[in-house]
Amino acid sequence: MDEFQLSEETAFVVDDITTIIQDTVETTIGSSAYQQNRINQWTSSVVETSLNQLSKLGKPFKYIVTCIILQKNGAGLHTASSCFWDNTMDRSCTVRWENKTTYCIVCVFGLAV
Amino acid sequence: MEEYNSGEEVSFNADEASVSVKEMLDCVVFLADWLVSVSQCIEGIIGGLDYNQNKVNQWTASIVEHSLTQLVKQGRPFKFIVNCAIMQKSGAGLHTANSCYWDTATDGSCTVRWENRTMYCVV
Repeated sequence: MDEFQLSEETAFVVDDITTIIQDTVETTIGSSAYQQNRINQWTSSVVETSLNQLSKLGKPFKYIVTCIILQKNGAGLHTASSCFWDNTMDRSCTVRWENKTTYCIVCVFGLAV
Repeated sequence: MEEYNSGEEVSFNADEASVSVKEMLDCVVFLADWLVSVSQCIEGIIGGLDYNQNKVNQWTASIVEHSLTQLVKQGRPFKFIVNCAIMQKSGAGLHTANSCYWDTATDGSCTVRWENRTMYCVV
């Protein structure tokens, strides 16, 4: 029973992380329209806030958070990632978010320490 | 007593301190070489081509696989994450950022930006 709880506390829980990221993006961008002069601030804010929240979870992971913000105007965007890591312990999750004028894609990679 | 070898192997080696600086420089060179090989790889895969929605899946996959293979071939004691984004040039604004919670002494990242007439590629 204790061992199960221990692994829960040290595991990369995708649902929790997805919720954290969605809340962060919603709070940072919300229903604002795409604005070129604010975009720098938004991407920095999303990654910093997400990272803060993730480190507060206190799990034994190193985290990498990447954020892509794209204006909606019909352009195509394609992203891919490949990882050379420990398959049993390391995980990633991607959160896609959009509002009327903006797409936001946040990827979180968790590498077990 | 036989198990305990000569004192030289267990005593402090003053050169060890300079080894870590050499290792850091070595890593910088390693990353610089990788940057060059990734640029060449992107040029080889999508060089003179126009953005093509049907093929872009295949392009991103090839680029990340090739880049990761180049990194792993070096045999370094690291885990690697390679990310590739290809975007059509149509006047839209694109902004990417990344933030990392890691060991700043041992971990690092680098980015390659490439473009042609019809698309941007960021690795």
